[in-house]
Amino acid sequence: MRKILLFLISITLVFSCKKEEGCTDPSALNYNCEAEKDDGSCTYPEPFITTPQSIATPYGFPDMLHPEDNPLTEEGIALGDYLFNSPILSHGEGLACTSCHLQENAFSSPGNFSSNVNGVATPRNAMALINLGWVNQLAWDGRSTGLEAKVLGSITNPFSVNGSTDSLQVRAEKDAQFMALFSAAFNNKSVTIENAAKGLSQYIRTLVSVNSKFDKYLLGEVQLSPSELGGYAIFNSEKGDCFHCHGTQQFADNLFHNNGLDPEPFTNLGLGAITGNAADYGKYRATTLRNIEHTAPYMHDGRFATLEEVVEHYNSGGTYSSTIDPKMKKVGIGLQLTNQEKQDLIAFLKTLTDTDFIGSN
Amino acid sequence: MKRITILVLAIVFTITSCKKDEPLDTQLTVNFTQTINSSTIAQDNLNYTNAANQSYSVKQLAYIISDITLHDEDGGNTLLKEMHFIDIDKPATLSFTVSKLADANYTSISFTFGLDTSKNISNLYVNEDFHSTMAWPDMMGGGYHYMILEGNFNNDTTFYNTHIGGTMGMDFSFNNSNTIFLSTNTETSNVSLTLNMEVNNWYSSPNEITLTTDGIMGNSNVQMLLKQNGADVFSTTID
Repeated sequence: MRKILLFLISITLVFSCKKEEGCTDPSALNYNCEAEKDDGSCTYPEPFITTPQSIATPYGFPDMLHPEDNPLTEEGIALGDYLFNSPILSHGEGLACTSCHLQENAFSSPGNFSSNVNGVATPRNAMALINLGWVNQLAWDGRSTGLEAKVLGSITNPFSVNGSTDSLQVRAEKDAQFMALFSAAFNNKSVTIENAAKGLSQYIRTLVSVNSKFDKYLLGEVQLSPSELGGYAIFNSEKGDCFHCHGTQQFADNLFHNNGLDPEPFTNLGLGAITGNAADYGKYRATTLRNIEHTAPYMHDGRFATLEEVVEHYNSGGTYSSTIDPKMKKVGIGLQLTNQEKQDLIAFLKTLTDTDFIGSN
Repeated sequence: MKRITILVLAIVFTITSCKKDEPLDTQLTVNFTQTINSSTIAQDNLNYTNAANQSYSVKQLAYIISDITLHDEDGGNTLLKEMHFIDIDKPATLSFTVSKLADANYTSISFTFGLDTSKNISNLYVNEDFHSTMAWPDMMGGGYHYMILEGNFNNDTTFYNTHIGGTMGMDFSFNNSNTIFLSTNTETSNVSLTLNMEVNNWYSSPNEITLTTDGIMGNSNVQMLLKQNGADVFSTTID
């Protein structure tokens, strides 16, 4: 009996001393927190791989702005393309980005204002989405720093499409294509409005327009007409003085100017409403003139229906106010362009049309 | 025991008292200021008077200084910065620092107002913030504005644009050299100097320039007059 007891105690001691084996790597799918000895059984999730994309820097452009947490990928662009054309983001699924940003209008709206999800007119003209990968301070009044912030602001704005993570998640469950694109683009499987904004931003960065007749002229591929060349000269002279705010290969400084549209007191403060600085009242972003032929109506409120009206505004010298840009140096005098010069200037502006970009080729 | 303690303390004291101070790195800050009649500019006030007896204001003032170099008594040259952009509305542009200035007796500072021909090339500074603001159209010679100085004159509704640059590819940049006495050694830590622009001098000696609403970018005669006037626009002080 004593021998049996001794044997059982020995067996118990042997087994109680044996360490538990298993996967000891916390990053493994089958991590065993009680295992003290790794048995080589760890299994890991499939690595999440996206396909990096890049956009060549066009001649005369700076490096494109890319936030570190949203690198350009093939999958992100594909998701953004889908979202741009789908109403899935908007409250009630009533609007897509393309509702207000039409390709034939260089991704702008042909109306002065657009209708939001509630059918109410937006307070500003929908801006053309051209070469925004190179713009840091966005919107007419500079309210957003960085493209991701601008896109997120637009898709969540109650006065725009009024999207949210909650409503997106409800719709996403019914949209297999969206879910497939989303899962391919973002390792984080949770569907959020922030990730949707990242995908959209990537897509918008691909909306690059640098293949206009004027670009081809610079490459020696086409000739400009005498009228177009005349307009080019006025554009780059201090008589027309377009280049100070719309210069370089971007045809924009993307800074904020009061171009003499209104007298004081301003009913719309523009940049001043964002900064609270009275010196910024009445200032709006000088946007690119690329594809300007197709982005009517013009200015932040779409007040000018034609390029002729725009040129006539500048030819008049504009309206004085205390924040008017000093480069509007002919206020009260006017540029005194001849009719031929005005026609030439418009002819030149039309050489900035990129038919590939607006999908008319 | 008491003797041993005293001995140890004496040794420790001797060792620490013999330890030499670490030589200091000299950090140089270069400041850029702008004055009218020696006073800091109050923007937007139409209360300055030029040599032509016109009242005027300053609303915008931005300019480029290049090849900023210190010269020492031994004939050595120290390039502080190849190019610096200044905008009075952007405080970050109003100074720069050089972290380790070599020890020497510096006797003068030289710099170029604007960009000489070797640097005044379209798109050369395409990734700089000032690129779109200062670009000078290729049709007028290309490169960059050396300076944009703008404001009202005579009344609130009349504007002047003093834009200096390389009209039709001509080089209107100019060198400026000012005598200084700046001695740095192992005991020097932070020093600073100031390059001041006296704005009124652009319009006075030797050429009296009258402000108009006409642009001057295509006017090489006015550009030359301004270049000549620039000789006494800048001054340097050691702070």
